[in-house]
Amino acid sequence: MTISAERPTDVTAAAMVPPTSKVVLPWTQRPGWMSQHLGTAVVLAVLGYALGHWFGNAISSNYAYIANSGQNSIADALGLAVGVLGWLVGIGALNYPLAKIVGKEARHESTVEGWSKYFRYSLDHKVVGLQYVVGVLLFLFTGGLLAMAIRTELLNPTTHVFSPDTYIKIVSEHGTIMMMMATSIIVGPLGNYLVPLMIGARRMAFPRIEAFSFWIFVAGYGVIFSALPYGGFPTGWTGYAPLQTQAGPGMVSYLLGFAVIGMGMMAAGFNIAVTIINCRAPGMTWSRVPIFVWSILATAALLTLATPVLFAGGLFGLLDKTAQTAFYVTEHGGSSYLWQNLFWFFGHPEVYIMALPGFGIVGELLPVFTRKPLFAYKVAAAGMIGVALLSFFVWQHHLFQSGINPDMRPLFMLTTELISIPTGFIFLVGMGTLYKAKIRFEVPMLFCMAVFFNFLIGGVTGVFLSDVPVNVTVHGGFFVLSHFHYTIMGGLLFAFMAGLYYWLPKMTGKMMNRKIGMIHFWTMFVFFNLTFFPMFIIGLLGQPRRVFTYAKNLQGLNDFSSIAAFCLGISFLIFFANLMWSMFISPEKAPPNPWESLGLEWQTASPIPSYNFERIPVILTDPYHYSEVGAPALADFGAGGDDSRAVTTGSDSAQ
Amino acid sequence: MIWVIISVAADLLFWFWVGPHVPPGTMTSTAKSNQFDFTFLVLMALPVMIGVWVYLGYAIVTWSAKREGVPEPVGGPEARGNRKAQVAWITITSVVVLFLAGFGTVAVINDHGSGGGEGPNPIWNPAGASKAEAAALTSSSSWSPNSNQVLPVQVIAQQWKFTYRYPTFGGFESSELILPAGTTIAFNVTSLDVIHSFWAYQISVKADANPQQNNVAYTDTKGTGNFTVRCSELCGLWHGAMYNYGKVVSQSAFVNWAQTTESANAANTANLPPFAWTYVPDANGAAGGYYIDGNVTPYSPSEIYGAKQPAS
Amino acid sequence: MTDMQDKKPFSETPEEREFELRAQIGSTWTGGRLFIGMYTFLLASLAFSYFYLRSANNGLLWRPKNITAPTSFGWAIYSLVVLIAFLAWFGQGRLRKGAVTDWQVAGWVGVFLGLVALFLQIWQLTALPFYPGSSGYASTFIGWVCINIGTLLFGTYWLETTLARSHRMRIEVAGTDPELTAIPAARLFRANVASMTYFWGFIALSSTLFLLMFYVL
Repeated sequence: MTISAERPTDVTAAAMVPPTSKVVLPWTQRPGWMSQHLGTAVVLAVLGYALGHWFGNAISSNYAYIANSGQNSIADALGLAVGVLGWLVGIGALNYPLAKIVGKEARHESTVEGWSKYFRYSLDHKVVGLQYVVGVLLFLFTGGLLAMAIRTELLNPTTHVFSPDTYIKIVSEHGTIMMMMATSIIVGPLGNYLVPLMIGARRMAFPRIEAFSFWIFVAGYGVIFSALPYGGFPTGWTGYAPLQTQAGPGMVSYLLGFAVIGMGMMAAGFNIAVTIINCRAPGMTWSRVPIFVWSILATAALLTLATPVLFAGGLFGLLDKTAQTAFYVTEHGGSSYLWQNLFWFFGHPEVYIMALPGFGIVGELLPVFTRKPLFAYKVAAAGMIGVALLSFFVWQHHLFQSGINPDMRPLFMLTTELISIPTGFIFLVGMGTLYKAKIRFEVPMLFCMAVFFNFLIGGVTGVFLSDVPVNVTVHGGFFVLSHFHYTIMGGLLFAFMAGLYYWLPKMTGKMMNRKIGMIHFWTMFVFFNLTFFPMFIIGLLGQPRRVFTYAKNLQGLNDFSSIAAFCLGISFLIFFANLMWSMFISPEKAPPNPWESLGLEWQTASPIPSYNFERIPVILTDPYHYSEVGAPALADFGAGGDDSRAVTTGSDSAQ
Repeated sequence: MIWVIISVAADLLFWFWVGPHVPPGTMTSTAKSNQFDFTFLVLMALPVMIGVWVYLGYAIVTWSAKREGVPEPVGGPEARGNRKAQVAWITITSVVVLFLAGFGTVAVINDHGSGGGEGPNPIWNPAGASKAEAAALTSSSSWSPNSNQVLPVQVIAQQWKFTYRYPTFGGFESSELILPAGTTIAFNVTSLDVIHSFWAYQISVKADANPQQNNVAYTDTKGTGNFTVRCSELCGLWHGAMYNYGKVVSQSAFVNWAQTTESANAANTANLPPFAWTYVPDANGAAGGYYIDGNVTPYSPSEIYGAKQPAS
Repeated sequence: MTDMQDKKPFSETPEEREFELRAQIGSTWTGGRLFIGMYTFLLASLAFSYFYLRSANNGLLWRPKNITAPTSFGWAIYSLVVLIAFLAWFGQGRLRKGAVTDWQVAGWVGVFLGLVALFLQIWQLTALPFYPGSSGYASTFIGWVCINIGTLLFGTYWLETTLARSHRMRIEVAGTDPELTAIPAARLFRANVASMTYFWGFIALSSTLFLLMFYVL
């Protein structure tokens, strides 16, 4: 059975746009150095920065307050902004938008072969996915190093490794880099790579927007990293005004960094949401969509709708710092609460952007390793949509003690408690799928079980925090810090590891080494819990966040936590070693479907051709028919179908 | 079955062994109430967590592919959903969660805000609070022991210390927070520069200090004791060092101390700005804000820079 | 599945091509609506800031002396925006009836007016009777202008690219009025024009709200 689309009657050969007879070589795909690639991006970024900075100085150094202070936020902001623009020009992101001005339409773009395609503006979502893996790991290791520095400082309450200035810089940078990474850690690499494969599509709806989201993600890293040479910013990742207004030039990096990363988040979410809605293969009704895709759809809804609020908040902050507006300056008609409200209105959906893809991965992997269909699939999908929807109504629980109108508090306590209901569905689904299963304890499965363990602690402590009276004790201290590390790191990062171990064989054709993987898992799991569980107690005993000194009697717990943290850092090195070993040093070829998964993404050829599917599949059922006698086939791949009418275009890339 | 036993055991263990030591302690009514809340939540959470863990442990051990004799799983519609289990789960979680929300609401109302900052217009006030607060602004307000009066205390946060001001004793300032036992205290927290947070740990009060805003939090002290005050909102370089210590003493000792300090500091107090709920000047004040030149920015280029603005 | 030795070259059947074309057209529709949703949240943040600072009136500095930005600029820009949205809507109506040239003329007039509006909006920043930080109103107004500059730029750009596409199609494709045919490029083009028109309608609508907020209230 081939696609039963009605045969279009108004297509005549003469009227069709003739396929280009020669292979089109866009600038971004020319082989060799004379093309647009990472190198040109870096060069133009640096030149752009210099230009912007010079221009900023030229237009503004005559203002008294700039001349007197020796700091020029306008030059800094313009330098970074034009630098980002130069980066985009250099990688070729602006080629198509500029071509559209003279009416050119998107066209065939053959991809350059070989490893250099990973350094270019690629329109193949699989290439973008792998690029994201590297990008995300870059953020992760930078943030992780900063975390090690923090724990070193906290070894002793009286001996200080860093000055308070350096320490606060490190704390702020760690938080911001990790949060920026965590928003895209699954949607970026795995979402981009897998969603078209899982829905049976040959490509994303907007491949150029997808590529843009990756390259601007990397630009965002540059911008937020630039905070360090600028002297850092003292506000933590939450950026509260008026400390934000008081801060030096590093604050501009923070604000612009969020704006830049925000653009990447919006682009990624936009592209993925539209793809899932429109590009599903024939026969893939909503009840046959894999649960991972549901989670990415819910996440994309949040990415697209919540991030503009962050963008606006960051824009207003930048205006405060450069144009001397007073959005967040209470004494001049603004309000520091405005920043808090805008930030947390984004900030709470943001953490669900981080949690939902983790649930999706766990939901996707459990059936494979238990050999059972996913339990309560509809409840799981509904739960994800419910979480996404409710997440817009809870943000003031971050502001319980801030002096906002108190009659809002019971309302937000209620909504926050309510959101724990759909969040808990993943446990129902997990426990139901495990019931009377036959569990294969491969490395990805172990990470999934760890997600359950960690997220249980994280989620339950969230309920504690949502209770206003208890919030008085635990807000602003290590308790809440441990809560979000348990949910974000314990949930999301472990799920990311599960996803990587699971899907890297498909993405790269090489298996991740099982032995090293086991060592990685156990060290990461044990030391993660040893690091963060004591922090609940530390918080309850009165240690606030972001401090470099604490009560002497808490030193034992802090030291325990720090040493466990160092070991946790080593476990990440083990992971990195496994990655290097399995991908480059001693790769082991992966069979096309090592986990015996019924998922659509595994039914492709290995390695996956750039056009994904030889024929667009017609989906017949959902991918969870494990251990079912007489289960229908997943899809009709059209092999042996009517290939005779297929038209081969000269190139090997999809339209 | 194992689950029930472990849960009950854990709950009892927690209640009797850990319970009395749960922070923040029992020094004040809010502390007691928050301690109870926390303990109650733990008692509710432990069975849930233990339940999930026991199930997961059982699943890992019993249904492992490596174990001998494990039957093949059965797929199909029965494995995809179980209406009873789903309905039960959703119902139970909803009931528990709604109960907790109600419980929290009742607790926060009964306890006059549970020690959290309620902003400038608090709605959960202990008796006599509004009168005492209004009186504090007049120079003739006073407080005497055993009178069931509310004692207003102002907490002024700045980078990077806390200062305490006592309006009922002439408005003197002190850097140590001394409080009388058996009294309802109304903390009025404000800041001079950036956002801080006044966290008196054993008293279980936490209120953000915002510039140009008053944040009111209440507590009833019970017995005497020492407590720590820490800043719990990142406020710049020395946020980590922004802490001091306080004491709850008997009422007579408190009055003694207050009156002594009042007279000793009288000369200083005369130089302080008059007592007010906030101290950051607005358009009608003197220099303020963060603009380098220190002048209030006029709202029209034709105005003289630095001129005072009319009231409205 | 067996290992593929050589990569099979890409091939597609006419049904697949049609299917992917429909997916692309749907994507244009969905993407246009989703983009409006995103923009709504962006503008809502600004509106929230306006009303929040207005109700807080910190330091009595929300809007001292009831200061207002230059209303002539505001009304001029607003009128242009409404006119452009009308031209887009009218033009699309003519396009659907088959009068492509009408659409093109309306479109190019719209592009010109868009550039004028952009110019006026930037010029307004130099003609303000208040400093940016002098009040809450001033700050939110500057925020609005920055966002509006972006909106006008993007809207005009989108309009221009559809027009450019139309002209280029006339060069690339044989026959009269290729925009009206059923070739894939034309169908995508019409979907694009529809989304763009919708977006301009949204711009006009939201501009009305902000006009009321900043110049009337």
